[in-house]
Amino acid sequence: MRSSNARPTRRFTGKSNYPARTAKATLLVLVGLSQLPSSIHAQEGVAGSVKRGGVIRYGHFQEPACLFGGWVQQWYLQRQYSDNLVARSEDGKIVPWLAESWTISDDKKIYTFEIKPNVKFTDGTSLDAQAIADNINGWLSNDPDLRNPTAAPYLSDSFESASAIAPLRLQVTLKVPFQPLLNVFAQSSQGILSPSALKRGLAVNCENPVGSGPFIVDKWRHGREVTFRRNPDYNSAPATAKHQGPAYVDGITWKFLPDQTVRYGSLITGETDAIYDIPAVAWKDANSRFPVLRHLTGGTPLRLALYTARPPFDDVLVRKAFAYSTDRRAAVDTSFLGSLPFEGNGALSQSSPEYLPELGHSYGYDVRKANQLLDQAGWTERNRNGVRVKNGNPLIVRISYSNAFLKPDGEQALQVIQQQAREAGFDVRLQPTNPADFFAGKNLGPDDYEVVLLYWVAPGAEIFRISWKPDQNGETNRFNPSRYQDLTLWDVIQKAEQELNGVQRTALYQQAERKIVDEAPVIGLTVLDVTLATKPNLKDVWLDRGSVGEPVFYDAHFDDGK
Amino acid sequence: MMGSDAVRIVVHHPIVWFARRIFSGVVVVWAAATFAFLIQCVLPGDRAQIIINVTSGNVGPASSAELAAINAKYGFDQPLAVQYGKYMLQILHGDLGESYQQHRPVAAIIAEQIGPTIVLAIAALLIAWLIAILTTLFIAGRDNIWSKLLNDAQVFLATVPPYWLATILLVLFAVKLGIFPVIGGNSPIGLVLPTLALALELSGFFGQVVQNEFTRVLEQPFVTSARARGMSDFGVRLRHVLRHAALPGITLSGWALGKLLSGAILIEVVFARQGLGGVLVAATSSRDVPIVSGAVLISAGLFVLVSLIVDLTYRVVDPRIKLT
Repeated sequence: MRSSNARPTRRFTGKSNYPARTAKATLLVLVGLSQLPSSIHAQEGVAGSVKRGGVIRYGHFQEPACLFGGWVQQWYLQRQYSDNLVARSEDGKIVPWLAESWTISDDKKIYTFEIKPNVKFTDGTSLDAQAIADNINGWLSNDPDLRNPTAAPYLSDSFESASAIAPLRLQVTLKVPFQPLLNVFAQSSQGILSPSALKRGLAVNCENPVGSGPFIVDKWRHGREVTFRRNPDYNSAPATAKHQGPAYVDGITWKFLPDQTVRYGSLITGETDAIYDIPAVAWKDANSRFPVLRHLTGGTPLRLALYTARPPFDDVLVRKAFAYSTDRRAAVDTSFLGSLPFEGNGALSQSSPEYLPELGHSYGYDVRKANQLLDQAGWTERNRNGVRVKNGNPLIVRISYSNAFLKPDGEQALQVIQQQAREAGFDVRLQPTNPADFFAGKNLGPDDYEVVLLYWVAPGAEIFRISWKPDQNGETNRFNPSRYQDLTLWDVIQKAEQELNGVQRTALYQQAERKIVDEAPVIGLTVLDVTLATKPNLKDVWLDRGSVGEPVFYDAHFDDGK
Repeated sequence: MMGSDAVRIVVHHPIVWFARRIFSGVVVVWAAATFAFLIQCVLPGDRAQIIINVTSGNVGPASSAELAAINAKYGFDQPLAVQYGKYMLQILHGDLGESYQQHRPVAAIIAEQIGPTIVLAIAALLIAWLIAILTTLFIAGRDNIWSKLLNDAQVFLATVPPYWLATILLVLFAVKLGIFPVIGGNSPIGLVLPTLALALELSGFFGQVVQNEFTRVLEQPFVTSARARGMSDFGVRLRHVLRHAALPGITLSGWALGKLLSGAILIEVVFARQGLGGVLVAATSSRDVPIVSGAVLISAGLFVLVSLIVDLTYRVVDPRIKLT
C-alpha cells in the first residue's frame, strides 16, 4: 500500500491535476524529435580513469513535504544523504554498510553489530552505536516526530530494544526471532540520521536533514529543486558501491518535474542528465535513444484486493470466477503499451527472491470456467441486464482506487476489466477517488468496496506480515484491505520469519505464497517499476536493491568521450 | 437642508469611503477565515487519520495511540469553539499556523511561493491587455478579411483551456524549436511561455468585450466630431474611443486577476515553475488544511485590495464617477 507514484499527482488528479491524455498526445510529438546537442558540464580532475566534477541535473516526479519519511518519494531523497546499517545486494544478500559485521545469538533474538569506526554525520556528530540505537528506538516510539511508519509495522511485534554496549558495538534485542530484520534495516527510509540534528525538531529536519551519506542537503527551493553538494569527507560507502571515498560529482540538482512531457522533454533538450519514470508512451523511444535503468520493485505487485469478509467475495469460488472472467493480461498490454508486464501472481512481485514463476500465469482468461464457478456458487440467475443475481442481490463489484496508487494508464486497464467481467455476469463499478479523500478513507469503509487497488513495496516476502497478519486483541490490521483472516497462513508466515536457514525459509514463504494465490483474496494485475533514463555521457548510475530502486548517484561520473 | 447636505458631504468624503471599504474588507477576510476553518471541520475523514496516512503513504485506520499523539499535537481533541478561538487569535497575531506535512509556518511557505505566482499573474494580465488593445484598435468597426480572422482567433483563444495551450506551446517552442527552455525556472525567459499560456485565453476574452464597447463608441457623436476636427482614424481610436471602451475591461480586470491566480496554479504545475500552484496542488491532495486556509485568506485579502484598486482606477479613467 505504499505509494511510489502518488500524486498529486498527484498526484494525476490532485497532485498533478492536469489530464494525462493530453500529455500522452504531446509526448507522441516529442518522441519523433531529434536529440539536440547536450549541454556542457564543468569537468575537472581525473581520479584514475574516472573524471571528477560536474553537477548531475536530475528530473524527478514528485516533491514530498519533508525530505525524509515513510512515503517512497522521500526514500529517493534520503538515499542520497544518509547511510543505512546494512545494504542489500542485487542477489538479495545483506552486506556491510555502517555495520562492518554482525553476529546473531543462538536463540536468534540478539543481533550484535560492529560499527564502522571514524564515521561522522555531516554536522560533525560522531556516528557511533549510540547514535544508531537512538534512531532505532525513535522509529518504534509513538512520538510523531520520530516514529518511522515503514519500520514500525515490520518490527513492532518483535522489537524489544536497541542499545550501545560499547562505543562501536550495537545490540538489537528482539522479543521473538525475526529474520527479515536486516532487510528492514537496509531500506532507505531506515537511513541513519544525526541524533543531535533530530533534536532540532521536524520543522528544521524536514528542510535540512543531516545524515552521513555521500551528499549533503544544501538547499531546498520549494516547488523547484533540492540541491545536494558532495560530502568531501565521505568514508562510509556500502559494500554494494563501486568505489570508496567521496562521490565523483560535485553535487546533484534534484529538480521536481511532475509533468511527464516536461520531464522527458528536458532530457531530450539536454536540460537534465537523468530523469525518473519514463512515460509509457515514450518507453520505446527512450530505449532507443538513452541508457535506461529499470528495477521491478519487490513486495506486492499492483493487485486487486477482494473484500472477503462479506458477500460476494467471502466465497472463494466467486473470487476465482472474478479472476477468470477478466483478461488482465490484455488489459495491461493495452494500457501500459508494453512498458509494464502482466503479473498473475497476486501474492508477490516477480523481483522478490521467493517469487514462484509458475504462479505468474494464475487465473488466465477463461469465461467458461468463470461461469461454471459462479453457477457452482449459486449465482445461477441473471437479471435483464445480464448481471447475475443470488437471493435477489445482483453481483455488483465496486472497485475503489486512487491515482495516488495508480499510474494514469492504469485506469484504462480497470475500464477494460470492467467491460470484460460483464460477460460472466459481474456488474463492475469503478470508484475513482482523489488522493486526499482516499487517505481520509473515502470508498474504503467496510461497506464501501468489493475490490480495492493497492500495493506495498518491500524487498521480498517479508511483506506477508504486513498484508496477512490477522486482527488480534481487538486491533485491526489496517494494511489488510482484503480482510482475509487465515490463522494457518499466519502460522506459516511466522515460521518463515523465525527461520534463519535460507532454503527452509524460502520454502515456507513459498508455501504461504501458494496458499494466497490459491485462496485468491488478491489477484495480480501488473508489477511496479522504477525507471531511469540517463544521458549517454553520465556513467555508473545504479538503482538500489535495498528497497524501492532509488537512483544512486554516488558512483556516477560524467564521461567527456560521448 | 444644511444638515442633510453636511451629512451627504461627510458620507462622500474620501476618508469615510476608505474607512468603509477597509471595514467591509475586514469582514470579507474574517468570513473567508471562518469559512476555511469550518470547511476543514466538515470535510469527511478524521484529520489525524489523514495526517498519519499521508505521512506514511498508507490507507486504513491508524492505531489509537498514533491518533492520540497527533490529536494532542494539533489540538484536535479540544472543543471546536476552542479550536476556532485559537485559530482566530493566531490570525490576529499574523500567524497562519503550521503545515501538517511540511511542519513549517504557513505564512513562510506562502511568502516564499506567492512572489513568482503574482509576477506570472500580473505579467499575464498586462500581456492580455496589450494583445487585446492592439487587436481591437486594428479590427473594431472594420469589415475585412483580417478583422474577421483576428476576431475568430479571439473567440478561439477565449475558449481554449490554458493547460492544453501550455502543453502545445511547450512542445512547439521549447522542445521542438528550442527557442525557450523546457524548465524555465524563475528566469525572465522562463516566464514567456507560462505568461503566453495564461494571457492568450484572457486576451481573447478581453478583446471580445472591449471590441463590442469600442464599436458602440465609434458610432457616438463625439467621435464624428473628433474626426471632423481632422484627427486621424488611428488617433481617434487611441485617444478618444479607447478611453471609453476600456471601462468594462477595467471592471473585468479585478475578476481576471483572480482567474489568473487560479489559472496560474495549473500552468505552474505544467511548466514545473515555482509558485503557489505546486504547493496548493500538493496541499489539496494531502489535505494540508493550514496551507489551503492560508491561501484562501491571502487570496481574500488580495481580492479586497484589487477591488479597491479597480474602484480607484475608475475615478482616474472617468472623473464623473464618484466614490460611493
